[in-house]
Amino acid sequence: MNCGVEIRDLKKTFTLARWQGFRRRMTQVTAVDGVTLDVPAGQSVAFIGPNGAGKSTTIKILTGILHPSSGDVKVLGLVPWSQRRKLAQYIGAVFGQRSQLWYHLPPRDTFELIARIYGLERGLYQMSRDALVDRFDLGPLMDTPVRKLSLGQRMRAEVAASLLHRPRVLFLDEPTIGLDAVARQELRDLVREWNTREGVTVFLTSHDAGDIEHVADRVVVINHGRVVVDGPVAEVRRRYVSTRILRAQFQDRPRQIDLPGSVVKSRSAYEWVMEIDVTVTPVQNAIAKLAEAGPIADIAVEDPPLERVITRIYKEHAP
Amino acid sequence: MIRSLADYLHLAAAYVRFNLRAHLEYRGAFFSQVVSMFINDGAWVAFWILFFRRFPVLHGWTVTDVISLWAVVTAGFGLAFGIMGNAFQLASSIAQGEIDVWLLQPRAVLPHMLLGRSAPSAWGDALFGFVVYLGFVRPDWPHAFVFVFMSLIVGVVFIGFAVLCGSLSFFVGHAGALADQWRNALISFSTYPPTLFQGAVKVLLYTAIPAGFVSYLPVEALRSMSAVDVLLCVGGALLVLTTGVTAFYWGLRRYESGNLVSLNG
Amino acid sequence: MRAECLKSISKYSWIGYTAVRSELAYSAANVSRIIFMATVLYVFMRLWSVVYEGAGVERLGGLTETQMLWYLVATESIIMSMPRLWHEVDQDVRTGALAVHLIRPLSYAAAQFGRSTGERVVRFAINLMMGSVVAILFVGPIPFSVAGLSMFALVLPMAFVIDFFGAMLVGLCAFWLESTQGVALIYSRLMMLLGGLMVPLEVYPDSVQPILRALPFAAILNAPGRMLVAPSSALFVHCLEVQTMCLVVYGFAVFALHRYALKRVFVNGG
Repeated sequence: MNCGVEIRDLKKTFTLARWQGFRRRMTQVTAVDGVTLDVPAGQSVAFIGPNGAGKSTTIKILTGILHPSSGDVKVLGLVPWSQRRKLAQYIGAVFGQRSQLWYHLPPRDTFELIARIYGLERGLYQMSRDALVDRFDLGPLMDTPVRKLSLGQRMRAEVAASLLHRPRVLFLDEPTIGLDAVARQELRDLVREWNTREGVTVFLTSHDAGDIEHVADRVVVINHGRVVVDGPVAEVRRRYVSTRILRAQFQDRPRQIDLPGSVVKSRSAYEWVMEIDVTVTPVQNAIAKLAEAGPIADIAVEDPPLERVITRIYKEHAP
Repeated sequence: MIRSLADYLHLAAAYVRFNLRAHLEYRGAFFSQVVSMFINDGAWVAFWILFFRRFPVLHGWTVTDVISLWAVVTAGFGLAFGIMGNAFQLASSIAQGEIDVWLLQPRAVLPHMLLGRSAPSAWGDALFGFVVYLGFVRPDWPHAFVFVFMSLIVGVVFIGFAVLCGSLSFFVGHAGALADQWRNALISFSTYPPTLFQGAVKVLLYTAIPAGFVSYLPVEALRSMSAVDVLLCVGGALLVLTTGVTAFYWGLRRYESGNLVSLNG
Repeated sequence: MRAECLKSISKYSWIGYTAVRSELAYSAANVSRIIFMATVLYVFMRLWSVVYEGAGVERLGGLTETQMLWYLVATESIIMSMPRLWHEVDQDVRTGALAVHLIRPLSYAAAQFGRSTGERVVRFAINLMMGSVVAILFVGPIPFSVAGLSMFALVLPMAFVIDFFGAMLVGLCAFWLESTQGVALIYSRLMMLLGGLMVPLEVYPDSVQPILRALPFAAILNAPGRMLVAPSSALFVHCLEVQTMCLVVYGFAVFALHRYALKRVFVNGG
């Protein structure tokens, strides 16, 4: 038995009722249009796609919240929507907008409650809790009301809470959103560690390329309800980080320069926005070249917007 | 079956403990709400005492009956929404997709979800109900026992009805205000001597707005200590609860098939 | 000077007018208020029916059964038209917005009065209309006369002003209390009990009636209520006397409070 996630030709169509004057218009919206995926136990998968692509719907089906229109799903050998309660014992979830931690109470209290909810045996619970508190560095925070914690501390506690009952699969939805760089890296490391050391299968959705790079082994790109890219991170990374957007502001009117592998996105008297191919011209070289054009007042290096990269990927993989 | 009930009570106790602890984080506001509700209920009882001084009997009901009515209704209401405060906001919880959180946990959704919150002012009602009954009516042990039991039954009616009203959200969008109205109708009618109502309205009070099970039967049971009234009340409460729970799970099935979900990624 | 005065009046009228417009927009709240009123009227219709039947008389406290219900229409319309003034004042005290106005208290009070009266008048009118419709359906109309209705209409403004002062005082308690919500609740319960909301004061034991009549609550509810159902010039004069007394007392209270607030604000530096 494969103890991971098996999805076969998953489809989900929503019927939306819209009122037009006195008549009711029923529109069919297909959120998931035939997704087939196999995630073996212990793998860490980044599940990405633009808004409306069908990510949330798929996750909701995997966790038993929604019933699909058709298709088969097995998570840890269980059918999520018909064996929801049993499955819930073995999965954990951290959904960005909904916190499991009680806002006015310290994390310790929420942990206690979780032990009750999951029916954890006292000794095992304490071992699990102490290990998590230690590794997630929650010691000084355990007795502080959650409302007084910083977002980074809160997210650590949140993820720790979701691991208390030792789930086999962990679903993370935008866990690093709003975090500063340090907190983000800390959280990524912790999730990665739990994946590699404890063998917890990780299902991550995120808009952050860094999350994907540091946490996932595999990337699945979903768009218009279908899987369009499915492969190891390294392979997809080439497409993600192969371009950068350089935004340079000059003190004087810049001279013309030649930057191989670059595309000018916009040019004004004192500002250039260019997209460079880092496989052709690494960032360091590009900046050096730009400095030759004139004295630089300010320079920014940005990732290309994810939507665009995915659209490009999708176009490349269009039937 | 007994074991799972014991387990559930254990969980409920944990939730009550944590909910109270959360309330006590804002001690001043909590006590102020409790006291306010106490005063509010007290004002109504004071009104009825003054009223009954002038008109001692209303279709067989005396001031003691009305006080008992207020006691059992507030005690029942207070226990119900103090322990299962989420019943109060069920409609909006459903509309905002809060159910998802509860669906992720290895518990039956409804009984678990209801425990998630506690209405702070409800504790004021509960306190009032017990204080007034024990202080004003000064019951003997059998009456006190029946009172506590009837309060629990009344609580069941309130919860069952609140669940029924809240489940509207599964079927009709923006049902929040409507659900509140309907639920408030029960509370309104529960606090007046039921002997005032006859005919069609009386039927209404045992069906669409089951105030009869909250006001008439409990007080009759306390007056006459009759097992029949108690059993009728229990039966009615179970009926209301079953209706509410059925409506909820029916709606939940619709929710899970996703026809309510607004698409957001 | 005249132009200034006229400008002020028109400014506050405008504030009142916009409040009226915003009130009319809240139809959902109006619907729920109407349903509530209909429920209360129905319950009390049954209550009075049972009481009069049991007592076997036609008049209680000088009123017939029908008059009792119309009394309730009046008092409910008044009490359910109360705007959340105390909360606004409470917030203004806490945020310090009030401190700015302490130098020229009349402008603050006038602005608040303009706004809250605008809301109040609209709500009251809606309540009264709907309540009348319900009452006619339940028990039929009572004989109205132009004189009677005028007297009713004339007693209302003072009632609103007295209530306005009461609400201001409650809100101003924010100077001392962490939360004025409790005070507001006590005020509204006292109004309900001692003001004769559900039953006219004549129903209460004779010993307490004189005291109750002297209280401002009666001037807000009981007086207009009786004026609607059993108007008489004697009653009218009496009402005006009581209302004037209340206004004077309240006026003193607010004035004293204003002095105190000024002192306190300057000591604390605003």
